[in-house]
Parts: sequence; structure tokens; C-alpha cells
Amino acid sequence: MTMAQAVTTTPRWLLESQVGLCSCGRNGLRRKTGFVEKTITGSTGLVRTVLRSDDIAASSGLMQSIDERIKLISIVLMLVAVSFVRHASLLLAAYAVTLVFAHLSQIPLRFFVKRVWLFIPIFTGIVVLPATLNVITDGRIVVPLGTVFGHRLGITSQGLQAAALIVSRVALSISLVVLLTLTTAWSRLLSALRSLFVPRIFIVILGMAYRYIFQLLDVTDEMYVARKARTVKADRASASGRRFVAATAGSLFGKSNELAQEVHQAMVARCWRGNARTLASRRISMRDVLWFGGCVFVALVVLVIDRSLGG
Amino acid sequence: MHIPDGYLSPQTCAALYVAATPFWLAAGRRVRKVVTSRYVPLVSIGATYCFLIMMFNVPVPDGTTAHAVGGVLIACMLGPWAAVIAVSTALLIQALLFGDGGVLAFGANSFNMAIVMPLTGYAVYRAVAGNSSLVSRRRAIAAGIGGYVGLNLSALFAAVEFGLQPGLFHRADGTPLYSPFYISQTIPTMMISHLLIAGVVEFALTAGVVAYLQRANLPLMRINHPGFGADTGDREVPHRVGWKRPAMVLSVMALATPLGLLAPGSAFGEAAPNDLNLAKYHLDAVPDGLRHYAGFFHNALFDGYGFKNDAHPAIGYVVSAAAGSALIALAFMLWIGLRRVARRRKSQRVRHMAEVLA
Repeated sequence: MTMAQAVTTTPRWLLESQVGLCSCGRNGLRRKTGFVEKTITGSTGLVRTVLRSDDIAASSGLMQSIDERIKLISIVLMLVAVSFVRHASLLLAAYAVTLVFAHLSQIPLRFFVKRVWLFIPIFTGIVVLPATLNVITDGRIVVPLGTVFGHRLGITSQGLQAAALIVSRVALSISLVVLLTLTTAWSRLLSALRSLFVPRIFIVILGMAYRYIFQLLDVTDEMYVARKARTVKADRASASGRRFVAATAGSLFGKSNELAQEVHQAMVARCWRGNARTLASRRISMRDVLWFGGCVFVALVVLVIDRSLGG
Repeated sequence: MHIPDGYLSPQTCAALYVAATPFWLAAGRRVRKVVTSRYVPLVSIGATYCFLIMMFNVPVPDGTTAHAVGGVLIACMLGPWAAVIAVSTALLIQALLFGDGGVLAFGANSFNMAIVMPLTGYAVYRAVAGNSSLVSRRRAIAAGIGGYVGLNLSALFAAVEFGLQPGLFHRADGTPLYSPFYISQTIPTMMISHLLIAGVVEFALTAGVVAYLQRANLPLMRINHPGFGADTGDREVPHRVGWKRPAMVLSVMALATPLGLLAPGSAFGEAAPNDLNLAKYHLDAVPDGLRHYAGFFHNALFDGYGFKNDAHPAIGYVVSAAAGSALIALAFMLWIGLRRVARRRKSQRVRHMAEVLA
């Protein structure tokens, strides 16, 4: 049993995909999932991610012990530094450092890497792929691909560098944000937003919005599961499907409004006068100061190396 | 359309944070003014709703699915300013919790999807819906068109933001540092996909939800449309008397006053005591009281409706008429203004009392 599993408070079976949610048809043949299954899978995936994040944030790793305000400011500082870096090699080296921090913060590496790289090939990779061609990014052709309508077509060195730069920067930026959010409880992260001059009322709104996501997600799930339960054949008809989605969204709005009214009454009953309060922050320790100093140092070193590499 | 960190330069991100801030502040102030203490739960749960709407898979004809943003839908339900805060909150939760959309790019994402989309989409909705009934088909289609236009404008802004990067930020050898596509490439790519697919999905969801609420839960539509009747959904006739028609009639009458100059003779009862034809009234002398009070008001601004010595009686008449009308209008406006201030103070007092009692 790994260290990460030892501190898990959510039952393991709840964090794994169930066979029942497999989109296999009869005869075990794989078929395209419909919108109903996709939404149900999406919502269970969301709950699973949140449960796992909560477990990791509650464990005792390196980053969990840092004050949330210091952690938030230092991660934003790193994000800014990363956005100024002009060399993919440096970004990849910095990515390796985030893996070390993830390990020290008891984040399962497989989960951490999967969470970042699962989406990057789909969204960023495909988007920047055409940019490697000389028709988009002009430059020295390194991989000729023949001629099209009399024009030379090929992958340019500049295009490859640009693609590598953007993919590595996106990966590193997401990793930094994931490091922050996986090691900080949501309520603590919200109170830390005060240090970035976010108004208190907005923090209360964020906290409430997050809290009711799960209640309304449950309501949505019930509607979709009911639809799935009474559908024998795969739901392919897009027009009736759209009508169902619109009706579900409309009905969800009604339930959300009822909930808002009830919550308001409950708040007024507890003397709510519009004054927002957030969690009191802890006292900043020596460890936090050291962490912040280290982050500033690393950010400066990265920027100095980047400038010395030229380009 | 959630832009991750890394696609936009830090300078662009900072500029879009600065651009979005006044809208956030204005939205906060306006929403709080309208719904007072209900503001926090209403906007919070609006944000939750927006977050969930973005998770809904909407089936499209080729068998796949797409997501809608729902910014204009929330603007139609809760008002455009509440939508600005609700969509921004949903985007921040997505960025922090799921890494969907960047943290540095949050300003850009909010500007595109939480500001441009609901504000422009709602304006289109109001323009197309006009004064139509709350249950009319036109209103549902107007909401759909608002969603379509709002999403496409939002995509256009994102395309411009992407397209500006390679020209502004590149290495000496031409390697783009951020998004590598030029504006001539980003606009067609983004716009074709949004005009043909994403915009249609947004139209279908926005119009579909409004149509559903029209037939299933009309009171919900009335949250943001308070001036519509409870039974028919038609716009109610305002109780207060309109000021435009009387003002028009009065203006025509005022413009027609110089016609009096063309009339022969003098106005009845306006002659000075010395000019009176005493025989006509069977009198021997001017009564003492009339003689005493005739010269009572000598300090008028336009004594005798004319300039000194009646050099230009017609001009004097017109000028004094205009000045008199203007003075009366000013006094009237002052009275209305004072009444409005008094009424507002009273309602504030009542609201305060209600809150204290609650």
C-alpha cells in the first residue's frame, strides 16, 4: 500500500470507474456514448476528482504545511515567471521539479501526470499541430512534406519550437495550478484569495457556489439516470435529445431558484445583514517565509537562465 | 473556448484583467442595489447553475455532443449584471478546481464569456423580443438569437486575443512565443466552428430553456421581467400617467401662442384703467380699488410684455412667453425632483425597518 493510499479517507471503490458505467452494448461491442451517458460520466468524474483532491489536501505533505496565502501568491508568481520563459527545455526542466514537489506533497505521481497530460494532447497538441507547418510559421524547413499546388510544404524548425514551447508552457502552468489546488482545502484556498485583493463578498459567493454544486449535481444526475433507465435503445435522436436537455436545464433552474430562496431565508434567520466573513488565517511561520523566499529565488533563477540562453 | 495559461502573453492577460475589473465592480454594485440581501444566495446559486450548464452535453446532428456556455440564458433569467458575476464565478471554480481555463488567463476568459457574451447577448435579446408577450414564441427565439450572437462575439474576441500574439511576441528568428496563429487564421477558424456548431448549440439550449419555462414555469421568467402580467404574460399598462403626450400637446400650444399677435383688438380684462371705455360698463369713474391696485406690480421682469418703450412689441411678446414657459417648466421639474428624493428616502427607511424586523 502506498503512502497516498494510507491517508485516503474516501473508500477506494468510490474513486474507481465502475463496470456498470462502461459504454459497451450487447455482445460486448463498443459503441459511441450518447449525451446522457456522457453527462452522467462527467458528473461522476467531477465528484471523484473533488473527493480525491479533498483526500490529498487533508494529508500531511510538504505543500500542505505551507500557509495558503503564501502558497497562492508564490504559485501565481511562478505562473507569471513561467509565462515569460522563452525556452521549452527550461520549461520541461521546471516541470520535472513540479513532479518532485508533487511527490513530496504525497500526490500520487500517476494521478498528477495523468491529470495534466490527458488533456494536453487533445486540446493543445491538436490545436498547435498545424502551426509547425511552414504555411503558418514561416522558417527553415526541417521535414519536407512535398509540394502542394506548386508550394513547398514542410515542418519548420521555428514551428516545432513554437509548438514545443506552447505545449510545455501549458503543461507546466496546469501542473502548478493543480499542485496548488490539490494541496489546499477549498475553504482555505478561498480565504487565501483575500491576499490577492479579491473582495470578501465575492469569496462568499464562490464558497456558496461551490457548496451547492454537489447538491444540484445530485438533482441533475437523478434526472439523467431516470432518462437512461427508461431508454431501451441508444439515445441517438438529436432533436428530442436537445428538447430533453433544455427541459432538464429549465427544471434545474426552477430547483436552483427554490434553493436560493430557502438559503436566503435560512441566512436571514441567522441574522444575515449582508456582511461577508471569511475564515481567519493562520499565523505565518518561518517555514512559510522560507518557502516564499525559495519560490522567488527559483523564479529569478529561471528568468536569468532564460535570458542567458538568448532568443 | 476556455483559454489555458500559456496561450496568451502575460501582458495581454494583465490588460484583460484591467479591462474586466470595471465591469465586475459595476456588476457587483448594480446587482446589490436591485436585490439587496438576496444578492449573495441568488448570484451564488446562479453561478452553480452556470457551472452545471457548462457540463451538459447537448446532442448535435452528427451524433456527437457539444457544450453550451449559458451566459445569455442566465442574463435572460437573472439580468445581465447578475450573469456577469455568476459566469465569472463559475469560470474561476473551473480554473482553480479543474484546471479548465488558466489562472492568469482568467481575466481574458471572463472578459470573453462573462462580460462580452451576457451583455451583448442580452442587448440582442431585448431588441429582438421588444414588447412581445412573456409567453410568445418570439421571446424564446429572441433569447436563442441573443445566445447565438453573444457566443459568436465572445469567440471573435478570443480569436482577436489569440491572433494578436504572434505579431507582438516572437523571438528574433520569428518563432512565436505564445499562440502561433495570426489574426487572419484565428478569426476564420474560430468563427466557422462557432457560427456553424457552437453557436447553434447555444441557440438551441437558450431558446429551449426559455420555451420550457414559458410553458412549465412562467413565474421564473418574471424574476427578470417584472413588468409583465401574471396571467397573460403581456406587458402591463403602466399605472402612472405618461408625460410624453401632454408634453407634446403643451409644446404645440406654446409654439402657437404668437398667433395671438395677429388677432385684432385687445384681450378682455387686460386693459389699463386709463384705457377703459367706462361708458361701456356704465361707469363714471375708475373705481378706487382698481386705480389703487392697477400699478401694484411695476417690478416685473418684462413689464408690459415688451422691451423698454415697446420698441419691438412682437419680439418682446415672444421672448417673454418663452422665458415664462421655461420658468414654469423649471419649477415643475424641481418639484418632481424633490418628490422623488423624498420617496426614495422613505423607501430606504421602510426597507431598513423591514430588515431590522426580519
